[in-house]
Amino acid sequence: MLSAFILLPVLGAILISLVPNTNPNQNRPRIIALLFGGVILLWNVILGFQFDPSQTAMQFTEYIPWISWLGFNYHLGLDGLSLPLLFLNSFLTLIAIYSSNVNIQRPRFYYALILLLSTGVAGAFLAQDLLLFFLFYELEIIPLYFLIAIWGGGRRTYAAMKFLIYTALSGILVLAAFLGLVWFSGASTFDYEPLREQVIPLGIQLWLLAALLVGLLIKIPIFPFHTWLPDAHVEASTPVSVLLAGVLLKLGTYGLLRFGVGLFFEAWITLAPWLATLAAISALYGAFAAIAQQDMKKVVAYSSIAHMAYVLLAASASTPLALTAAMFQMISHGLISALLFLLVGVVYKKTGTRDVNVLRGLLNPEKGLPIIGSLMILGVMASAGIPGMVGFIAEFLVFRAAFPIFPLQTLVCLVGTGLTAVYFLLMINKVFFGRLTESLSQLPQVDWGDRIPAIILALFIVILGLQPSWMVRWSETDATALVVSPSLLSQVAQAPDQALSLGDELSMNVLPSRSGNN
Amino acid sequence: MDFSSTVASQLNAGVILPEGLVIITLMVVLVGDIILGRNASRQLSYVAIAGLLGSVVALYFQWDNSQTIGFLGGFNGDNLSIVFRGTIVLSTAFTILMSIRYIQQSGTALAEFVSILLTATLGAMFLCGANDLVMIFLSLETLSISSYLLTGYTKRDPRSNEAALKYLLIGAASSAIFLYGVSLLYGLSGGEIRLDAIAAQLTDLSSGQSLGVAIALVFAIAGIAFKISAVPFHQWTPDVYEGSPTPVVAFLSVGSKAAGFALAIRLLVTVFGQVTPEWQFIFTALAVLSMILGNVVALAQTSMKRMLAYSSIAQAGFVMIGLVAGSDDGYASMVFYLFIYLFMNLGAFTCVILFSLRTGTDQIAEYSGLYQKDPLLTLALSICLLSLGGIPPLAGFFGKIYLFWVGWQAGLYGLVLLGLVTSVVSIYYYIRVVKMMVVKEPHEMSDTVKNYPPIRWNLPGMRPLQVGLVLSLVATTLAGILSNPLFNLANSSISNSSVFQTASTPVILSESIINRQSLSE
Repeated sequence: MLSAFILLPVLGAILISLVPNTNPNQNRPRIIALLFGGVILLWNVILGFQFDPSQTAMQFTEYIPWISWLGFNYHLGLDGLSLPLLFLNSFLTLIAIYSSNVNIQRPRFYYALILLLSTGVAGAFLAQDLLLFFLFYELEIIPLYFLIAIWGGGRRTYAAMKFLIYTALSGILVLAAFLGLVWFSGASTFDYEPLREQVIPLGIQLWLLAALLVGLLIKIPIFPFHTWLPDAHVEASTPVSVLLAGVLLKLGTYGLLRFGVGLFFEAWITLAPWLATLAAISALYGAFAAIAQQDMKKVVAYSSIAHMAYVLLAASASTPLALTAAMFQMISHGLISALLFLLVGVVYKKTGTRDVNVLRGLLNPEKGLPIIGSLMILGVMASAGIPGMVGFIAEFLVFRAAFPIFPLQTLVCLVGTGLTAVYFLLMINKVFFGRLTESLSQLPQVDWGDRIPAIILALFIVILGLQPSWMVRWSETDATALVVSPSLLSQVAQAPDQALSLGDELSMNVLPSRSGNN
Repeated sequence: MDFSSTVASQLNAGVILPEGLVIITLMVVLVGDIILGRNASRQLSYVAIAGLLGSVVALYFQWDNSQTIGFLGGFNGDNLSIVFRGTIVLSTAFTILMSIRYIQQSGTALAEFVSILLTATLGAMFLCGANDLVMIFLSLETLSISSYLLTGYTKRDPRSNEAALKYLLIGAASSAIFLYGVSLLYGLSGGEIRLDAIAAQLTDLSSGQSLGVAIALVFAIAGIAFKISAVPFHQWTPDVYEGSPTPVVAFLSVGSKAAGFALAIRLLVTVFGQVTPEWQFIFTALAVLSMILGNVVALAQTSMKRMLAYSSIAQAGFVMIGLVAGSDDGYASMVFYLFIYLFMNLGAFTCVILFSLRTGTDQIAEYSGLYQKDPLLTLALSICLLSLGGIPPLAGFFGKIYLFWVGWQAGLYGLVLLGLVTSVVSIYYYIRVVKMMVVKEPHEMSDTVKNYPPIRWNLPGMRPLQVGLVLSLVATTLAGILSNPLFNLANSSISNSSVFQTASTPVILSESIINRQSLSE
């Protein structure tokens, strides 16, 4: 069942590449891609209904032995951490395909690559084998490289190469950590579940976790490993930016939760204060850098860095509530940044510029882009954490969960949230308010095709903001299961004299979640 | 050995049946060329391919043969040698596929080329199974001298002549050094030539033998490193690769290298089992240098063949990780990687040959915008290069994972980390070519590609190229995903091989790791 998420896009990509080049109907690749995107999304919704959120175990698992000598198996599974992200991936892939330029150059290659990208991301979210995760993690690099390098802006080759090198480096660090983990734990396979009970000396764990962290922090990205992201975003076309910000970055944070917290809990707790500090620095850095930008897309890109830092903050707090919050923040950021990139894309398409100093008064109801502008204001409000929208719930959960554990870092991040309002208001104020300049008064009509994806995203943002439990219920159980690791429980059982301290730690971890959810 | 048996059973000539088939094919090609003349040369090369495939079948039936020693100990046809011989035979068959059109277009005789290539194959095959010093040296020289001839085969091309001369001079020097090392072994063991007998004589290293063994080891490694073009014995590689006919380069980079690695495993494990830490230390150094230099210098290349030359140096560096690991898994990972390397590297060379046949150049810059004119070539070359760079889910990814995993298990953390980092570097230069072909817009197309001839597969000698291209494309794409049988093959070739029954006991291995760690500290 889960293999459909991997096989269907590949099948779609093959079908698309088989469309003859001479076909007069140049829309056929797009139609096939939309069809496959739709089927995948539908399949995802069906799976969502069959999914039982109260179970902690992996569901719908698939297991095929692959390379026995390596202990490498094709093992897929779905739990509350992967399901929302999988849904986000299917959803944003469809939106990206839909919002792609109808007359795009080399359509067959383009749509095939987007579907392959979807395969890689879905596979990484589903993989229950460390090497399989790494395989999909690397698989996504090449399609994205081409998507940036071929259909990007002026400096696209530079940006794409930078992306490639950073991500490849991130990949090998992750691989080194995985190899080390399996070797030192003496496990016979790269299977995820058995490895959670590893008992490696803390010193080695710290080294392995450090390698894993640097790898994943590049991907998220967190200051000081972030420099590829603004370049990649600015040069990438709108749909690619949507995918990059919406799902690709989530691979990093998902990896943090699944492998950082899940496999190295002891070392994670040791490093957590430093991670929280790094998150705070990154949040502030992203916010300040965003204030200084003149390019709308760069503003959104730097705001991505700031908002992804909250995920790291929540993950470093690593209580069940905090992990649920991290999941929520991932989804919230996925939706909001996708919306913002889409809208910036529409503005760029209609006006030909993204410079905040040139654009003015776009909210003008007659000659401007009123609906796009309104959606933009909504997206910005959501991003700044205005109540009633998904951003507020996510950030509130993050800060509520992190504050008891890292008060100082959380306060710094709160300042970062405040700054979100500053840079986005600066942008909105310049671009959408004021008098519409003469040069911009002859804007082409925005057709509904451009608005629909943005409106759907905005609906999700509002609905999840009003009804957060629809999202929380998926991840809560598994977030708890991730922290209360089997080894911790068995330690408590085996050593009653130490149970006091460990019990304290446990109760500290578990209690906030109760108070938070009541 | 059982001396009561008859001479025939001692000879056990059946063990070289695959080589026999190659010899018969060689004869047929030679005689056929004389009788039928130049017009039949293309048919003769198909005969050669058929003979080589027959040889693969013969190898298949010798798998798990209980009587592996032939010719009174001169030849050992165990599973390890079968895997290596199979790799070499396949690489030759591929090379013939891609050389038919190339050699005919260069205006030289095809059948002669094929017969020299078959001779080189014969040398390489015997080298894989050679079990005594004379046999090793003879087959090594057969391989080398045929290689020199092949390198200079396009006589009218001055660069080919230059390459042949360089290769000959450096090769002869390295052969001499190797021979000197071998003669030391002969003396130290008191006149033994069989590898296991030498090993038995060299057990006691305390009594002044150790210095002699060390010198013999260094000299032998110099000869091997020349064959596998490990840094710092690589200087011939770029020039020879650039100058020689491209099919020859393809053979040198796969077949000849595989033979070198087979020799390395057999000689080092059997004879130098006592000094395992020493040779592992030397090969660690060679691997480090090869990976760094090969990958870094490849970045700066503008010619495709030179880039592939440095990339093959780097790839040899990766393979050496398996050798240094020194475990059964390590050797198996080498076998596996070489087998996969066969397809992806020969696939890449097929593409280079095809491109140069159609355009007459091999400059990387000339590839820009190729996707518009020749999608199949673009796809095949991209897949092969990405596989060489280790991008999943292509074959190279699995090969590298296996090598790195085995290296990690053997405690070679530094080497594996270096391998990981340098493979990122390698992705950069492989993707640079892919970028040229795929990313460039129509208006950035190079003049060569603008004047690209229409694709015609029905020209004489183009069909084999097409077959080779499609085969390597399919193999590179699927060999990784369906690699479990290959893994099993590689592992059973090692575990059933007689070489490792005596020499590499776990005790020596763990000692070697400890020693190496103390050396590095």
